[in-house]
Amino acid sequence: MTDTTDTTLNTKGITIKRTAVTFNTDTDSPVEALRPIDLDIAPGDFIALVGPSGCGKSTLLNVLAGFIKPTSGSALVGDEPITKPDIDHGVVFQDYALFPWLNVIDNVAFGLERQGIGKQERYARALDNLDMVGLKDSAYKKVTELSGGMKQRVAIARVFATDPSIILMDEPFGALDALTRRFLQHQLLEIWQKNRKTVVFVTHSVQEAVYLANRVIVMTARPGRIKLDHRIELDYPRDFASSEFRTLEKLVYDQLDEELAKTFSLEGGQGYSGD
Amino acid sequence: MKSAAKPFGSSIVPFIYASLFIVTVWQLVVTFTNAHVALLPPPLLTAETFFELIISGELFVHTGASLGRVVAAWVLSAVVAIPLGLAMGRFMRFERVMDPLIELFRPISPLAWIPLAILWFGIGETGKIFIIFIATFFPILLNTVSGVKGVDPVLIRAGQVLGCDTDRALFTKVILPAAMPTIVVGLRISFGTGWAAIIAAELVAAQVGLGYLIADGMEILRSDLVLVGMITIGILGVLIDAVFRILNNRFAWGS
Repeated sequence: MTDTTDTTLNTKGITIKRTAVTFNTDTDSPVEALRPIDLDIAPGDFIALVGPSGCGKSTLLNVLAGFIKPTSGSALVGDEPITKPDIDHGVVFQDYALFPWLNVIDNVAFGLERQGIGKQERYARALDNLDMVGLKDSAYKKVTELSGGMKQRVAIARVFATDPSIILMDEPFGALDALTRRFLQHQLLEIWQKNRKTVVFVTHSVQEAVYLANRVIVMTARPGRIKLDHRIELDYPRDFASSEFRTLEKLVYDQLDEELAKTFSLEGGQGYSGD
Repeated sequence: MKSAAKPFGSSIVPFIYASLFIVTVWQLVVTFTNAHVALLPPPLLTAETFFELIISGELFVHTGASLGRVVAAWVLSAVVAIPLGLAMGRFMRFERVMDPLIELFRPISPLAWIPLAILWFGIGETGKIFIIFIATFFPILLNTVSGVKGVDPVLIRAGQVLGCDTDRALFTKVILPAAMPTIVVGLRISFGTGWAAIIAAELVAAQVGLGYLIADGMEILRSDLVLVGMITIGILGVLIDAVFRILNNRFAWGS
């Protein structure tokens, strides 16, 4: 495991078995965020989770990250049940979550230090991973000096540095402008194609989902269930303008629109408490 | 907090204007009211006394004594308040127990402790340090608590998924550094409150110190000495704050 160009890929599948989440609120009746869900994710798959706001896609991601325990059912990475956050289950957050008191390279090396890797080795690996996202020259900058797009690239370098078997991404490009977003989507795909880690990617954007994922999952309005589970066989890099791409986009949009309609009628009709 | 990044020159200019303004008003009051020198000595006489005390070295002795007491009490305060604040910020139950106690003690001015300080510790150094300890304790404690509680939860999650699998690791690697800027602010504020409380502390039968200089000046009807003591406290207060702002900038990743 000392060689960064290790050929034995660390990537695992994810099994979600009858996983449901209900939140207990102080004031209202319990909120059912996630109906029992079953999902098998093969090692090396790139899954995009799409759904209306509050549909439970982030909840599902938080279960996979070990941040929240499911009310019932279980989720496994490989054969291991997820019980708590684990360095083997990498997470990329929407708002980057870089440590502002550390410079860029120390952010990327943070997990490596926790894995007990010596200073020289972890700096070499951190640099390799920064190079991968094109930020080698910014290694010794303060993270507060970076733009949003650069911060997220550092976060991506940080998550790949520790070589986790799955990577969970919670609307990672949601806060970025359209051009930066395109650039990062492209960069992420290149990295993923090289090391084929299992990625679960939550997004609001249908285009992003169809562009990145080889399997798109549309979730229903709360309580979240799986509405559509569609494999995307288009070759990478995909062309936004191609008719196949557009057809797939429409397929996902049609499913999503039904759910959006439900969400809004729910909000208008009865006292929907929102998130 | 950004202002600290400005060159020293541009931050000192407003103080020069303010000083000129005060001296002008002061001189005008002396001229028009014809105030007795024992009540309000003119600026020039006060300046003379100021330089006499500098040349004789007396002012440095008083300043050194006061500064020494504030530093001692402030360090002691930090040693007690930071760990306590960290524990309160971290453990909600502990905070719930401690909070009412602190809320009860906090409004009591350090001045109110003087009688007890004399009774308990006599008129030596301990009593004075105790008073300043009271004055410096709460700003450090409260800032430490809010620093720990204010850590962005997403940073804690990031720490957890990056291998901080024990509470201890999470605390030393994420929570403490994340809370550091707020703690440093508490240290800065408390040095200010400690410095402001020095007079109260040195009213307790001091033999040396700026508070002594002021109290003694009053007794022998030397208002110029009183004013020199006050001016020194003011100037040093500003200088100490400036030093802290520079130190603070080293930790000011958050701003």
